Amino acid sequence: MIHIEHLNKVYNENAANAYTALHDINLHIRPAETVVLKGVSGSGKSTLLSIIATLIKPSSGELVVDGEQIAKLPDTHASHFRNAHIGFIFQAFNLFDELSVKDNIALPLIVTGMSQKSIDEKVQQAMKIAHISHKQDQSVQNLSGGEKQRCAIARALVHEPKIILCDEPTANLDRENSLKFIETLKQFKALGKTVVIATHDPLFDGLESVDRTIVIENGKITSS
Amino acid sequence: MPANVFLNFLFLLIYRHGSKHIAVFLISTLVVMLFSSVMLLSHAVEEDIKVSLAAQPDFIVQKIHAGKAVDIPMEWADEIRSIRGVSVALPRVYGSYFYTPNSHYFTIVGIDPFDKQISTSLEALLQETDLRSFLSEDQMIIGQGVKAQLDQHRYFDHYLFKAPNRTKVRVGIYKSFPKESSIVSSDMAVMELDLAKRVLGIEEEFSTDIVLFVPNELERDNVREKIILQHDDLRVIEKEELAVAYEQLFNYRGGVFLLLYMIVLVTFVLILYQRYSMISSADKKEIGILRALGWSINAVIKLKIMESLVVGLSAFMLGLLLAYCYVFLLDAPLLSSLFLGHGNLPLDIVFNRSIDFGMLTLLFLFFIMPYVAAVLIPVWRIAITDPVEAMK
Repeated sequence: MIHIEHLNKVYNENAANAYTALHDINLHIRPAETVVLKGVSGSGKSTLLSIIATLIKPSSGELVVDGEQIAKLPDTHASHFRNAHIGFIFQAFNLFDELSVKDNIALPLIVTGMSQKSIDEKVQQAMKIAHISHKQDQSVQNLSGGEKQRCAIARALVHEPKIILCDEPTANLDRENSLKFIETLKQFKALGKTVVIATHDPLFDGLESVDRTIVIENGKITSS
Repeated sequence: MPANVFLNFLFLLIYRHGSKHIAVFLISTLVVMLFSSVMLLSHAVEEDIKVSLAAQPDFIVQKIHAGKAVDIPMEWADEIRSIRGVSVALPRVYGSYFYTPNSHYFTIVGIDPFDKQISTSLEALLQETDLRSFLSEDQMIIGQGVKAQLDQHRYFDHYLFKAPNRTKVRVGIYKSFPKESSIVSSDMAVMELDLAKRVLGIEEEFSTDIVLFVPNELERDNVREKIILQHDDLRVIEKEELAVAYEQLFNYRGGVFLLLYMIVLVTFVLILYQRYSMISSADKKEIGILRALGWSINAVIKLKIMESLVVGLSAFMLGLLLAYCYVFLLDAPLLSSLFLGHGNLPLDIVFNRSIDFGMLTLLFLFFIMPYVAAVLIPVWRIAITDPVEAMK
């Protein structure tokens, strides 16, 4: 599903303050596999996640996702790719506070060319999976952290992507909600999603639903 | 993407972002209202003057003595009428009367109700007038400006004019010009020729000037020369010269307003620039989220441009509507005095509802282009940065 070969990422390339975030990353993630990227803050795991999501471009190296070479895609194609293949759950949820739950969840579908009816159907379905249907008309700013997380999960699922990327998904949650998120991983697995989680939360250690844990240190994979 | 889905989201976003847009919306509405009020007003005045000028005679002939216009013998009108090309030559009694209570001037116009009138507006006015009743005693028909002045001092049915020979001439108020009549008629008091002479102190065989109509434009220069040959102490004023005089008067005021326009426009652009260039971190985050969810740069720019266009267009439409109501329903209080001035009489008139769509289009473009540019540049700048960076 995801092939990464000799991937490097240098920020501020050719500048005095150039900084190497990822160094010669080689990684292969199979379809429907759940992988945890572990590492301390600044180790490069979030950068790797962002590169897989085509949010940033690598400095060099190969990145093939679902058979498509995406390392150097121009913006329009990258956006289209992201919209079709990637569901992203952010640490800070990144929701539109003024919009309702269902309007937030519908955001990825607006640019897909779907009819309003299809969008509404998909949103309902995603809300059901994420157990947030009862809050659908509430403004996001009135939700608790756990509810926001569920809203973000529904938004990541709504366009039925093959890959779900989670960046520190439990960093802003209490233990109870963190455990609920871990339960959600089972649902992702049941839906056949390829899941990559960047985290340093020990809660993910030794989980049955996690197939593999990859450790990143100083921009390099040290164990996989 | 289906237009309705996009528009649904667009309007939802505008609704939810209401507080963010309200200040710009209100300022924009005010600016458009101010600009379009002046435009509507100036166009209405221009049209009014055009109509008034169109009804004016082709020439006005005055007798000049020591560089000053003096009364002219009425019989000279017969001499001028005999010049080939002149269809009508009429002595006119026309002069200013100083109304002491308010220190304003009325324009006294003397007419022969049974003769051709010097202007079509007077012609029309007389057609609606019962001449027998009008001429049964010394009476006048007054413009709205004159009426307002006389009403102020409770002269509802008559006024006592003080003639230059120190006699008092009592003149009844027969009726007033309708409010829709031209601006030029506002300060007029129209009365029978001999009565006007008594009020202005003009001798019986004299008039203030002679007006003539020369239907063939090609004959006008000839006619002008022949008149001057007949009497070398005559001044011949062409209708075009009157037009230029009016134009200069309003151009001067238009110039002052043009300067104000520029100041307001520059301020408006600065406000917009400040508002949108210092785009908030919440705006940046929004753009970043949309980009992260698969919205292309073009889609984000389209959304943001449409968002500001809807706000801008709504402000433009509302501003225009308010300006229309202000000028044509409320008769532009304050602005009409500023624009038209009331060196003579405060104007109490109704503006003719004529709109210059060319000017409105120009105003629209001048308004909407800086508006869109002020949004486009900062949004584009953020949209092309990494979504991850924008979301921080």
